[in-house]
Amino acid sequence: MLNFTIRRLNLLFFTLLMLSIVSFSLSYFFPGDALVNLSGEINADQQRTEQLVELYNMDKSVFHQYTAYIGQIFSGNFGISMSSQVPISDELHTFLPATIELCLAALFIALIFGVPLGFIAAIFHNKPLDKIILTFAMVGYSIPVFWFALILILLFSITLSWFPSSGQLNLLFEIEQVTGFKFIDILLSDSEYQAQALKDAFMHIVLPAIAVATAPMTIFIRLARTSMLDVLESNYIKAAKAKGLSQAHIIYHHGIRNSLVGIVRLIGLHFANLVTVAMIAEVIFNWQGAGSWLIESIFARDYTAIQGGLIALASFTFFINILADFLYAALNPLERHKKHGA
Amino acid sequence: MNLLDIKNLSIELTSHGENILAVDRVSLALKDGEIRGLVGESGSGKSILAQAIIGVLDDKWHVTADRFHWQGVDLLRLPLEERKQIITKDVAMIFQEPMSCLDPTNSIGEQIEEALDGSKFSGYFWQKAQQRKEAAAKLLHKVGIKQHDTCAKSYPHQLTNALCQRVMIAIALAKQPKLLIADEPTASMEATNQAQIFKLLESLNKLKNMSILLISHELEKISHWTDYLTVMYSGQFVEAGTTEQIFNTPFHPYTKALIASTPRASTNLIKKSLLHTLPGSIPSLQHLPIGCRLGPRCPNAQKKCVIAPQVESFQGHQVSCHFSHRKEY
Repeated sequence: MLNFTIRRLNLLFFTLLMLSIVSFSLSYFFPGDALVNLSGEINADQQRTEQLVELYNMDKSVFHQYTAYIGQIFSGNFGISMSSQVPISDELHTFLPATIELCLAALFIALIFGVPLGFIAAIFHNKPLDKIILTFAMVGYSIPVFWFALILILLFSITLSWFPSSGQLNLLFEIEQVTGFKFIDILLSDSEYQAQALKDAFMHIVLPAIAVATAPMTIFIRLARTSMLDVLESNYIKAAKAKGLSQAHIIYHHGIRNSLVGIVRLIGLHFANLVTVAMIAEVIFNWQGAGSWLIESIFARDYTAIQGGLIALASFTFFINILADFLYAALNPLERHKKHGA
Repeated sequence: MNLLDIKNLSIELTSHGENILAVDRVSLALKDGEIRGLVGESGSGKSILAQAIIGVLDDKWHVTADRFHWQGVDLLRLPLEERKQIITKDVAMIFQEPMSCLDPTNSIGEQIEEALDGSKFSGYFWQKAQQRKEAAAKLLHKVGIKQHDTCAKSYPHQLTNALCQRVMIAIALAKQPKLLIADEPTASMEATNQAQIFKLLESLNKLKNMSILLISHELEKISHWTDYLTVMYSGQFVEAGTTEQIFNTPFHPYTKALIASTPRASTNLIKKSLLHTLPGSIPSLQHLPIGCRLGPRCPNAQKKCVIAPQVESFQGHQVSCHFSHRKEY
């Protein structure tokens, strides 16, 4: 297990290293002065420019510049936004938690519905239920998120008015921003309308989370179905049947765990996809998250913000990936224990 | 009374709209406490037959039989669920490749414990859990594993193939079965391990009066342990009788060739001479000959062989051949 942990952390370290190199090189690849791209200070005077050159080691070699850049990032300085002149770290602190909240909610929905549906499809292999679930998965996978999001708004907020169409929380609730995670902030606040605020935040997250979750969910359905089918064909399921165990017992004790082993690792892989979908959905649902913020920055050619957003979102995705790997190891004894004998 | 009595059991495989008769009217009878060997080349339908008996074949396979009696109970008349209950209660099976037959994500202990009969334990759930653990340890002792704690805690990939097979036997013993079907239990194992597994099976047979259906493609190897033998070829019944009958007076040309093909230390073979074999190889399921399936390879084959022969019995020695060697002895 220690070996496994070290290997994963090693992977995390090197991916982050590569990421930081890419991010740093962007300041040279983007048009304009590298120093301005790094710091984002477009209106710096002579004195300030000298300070920045000192800070970012711009008068030394590229390697020194890179180490200075890394040093700045670790001290929390991502530069300032070119368009708004606000520190990127502040903007990230405002917007990133909202994205994480949305992504985690969507991942939760996708897993909670996708994986069991896939298992059910596999258990009823080649029966009508299997076909229905597969059709649903195919349709869900083919629908583009921007259209689906609009349909959801049209149906559930305009026609039925069950859920609000945009934003994260009704402006009536005065919730002080502490962590940026709306749900945690509401729980931390001492507002007398805490329960209502919580309910309101929940109502706001439902539609965007569903819109984001649909595509990954259909992928999970198919992954879970294939994985379960493979497991059900295996010899140990046959042996378990010969033991006289009931079908439910076999699925519950042998099927689910073994097929989860096959899926969990891929969850991390498909999470990157989910984050991209979330960025589009954020724009449509006017969700004040890092995705819509990043898209705006791209339109505004705010290179500093693009760099900062890249690092933040990519690190988040890596982190989820590594987490999925640990979950995989927890489920799979083959990873945890040394192999003895033949 | 026979423990298991099967007559004309056929197994059909439906694939791509085609029906293939994988096992063609095979009969098998087992008495209480006997060890019967089921011998045939790879692909002769032995494993399929065993899996059909225990009922773990999936929907692709269709099993039909004229008679399927278990301890005098006609299983064909019973609904599927009841049949399964009776069979899994009294019949256990161990498979080839034991490592792949154990769930890789469950510990050995868990897998043995779940095979135990829950109604035998009493008390509160923690007491039951304790009893289960003890019963599992006892089972491991029975199959010759002394370090039951270490073994119960480990996962299948941490054990050797031979140990996994012992665990499989322990699981099979959990229900105290009357019949144990051993499907090539020693495939891909070292000779010493093979002998140990066979000895273990023999002792179980002697001490517990447990019948064993021993499936193998190595006639010579299992004949030492068996009382009776049934020979199959390409899904068809060939010959059955006591081990002595089969070895000393083989009636069927296939059995004769099978025995002759085994080199013996006593026979004087000339250097570089060819070993005795039948020409050709076992037909694939897509291209089965009509009638007796041995036909194209059989030295005795004549025109009549395109009609499958009936099984004839001579003092318990059954053979299915138009031109058997019976009169030569």
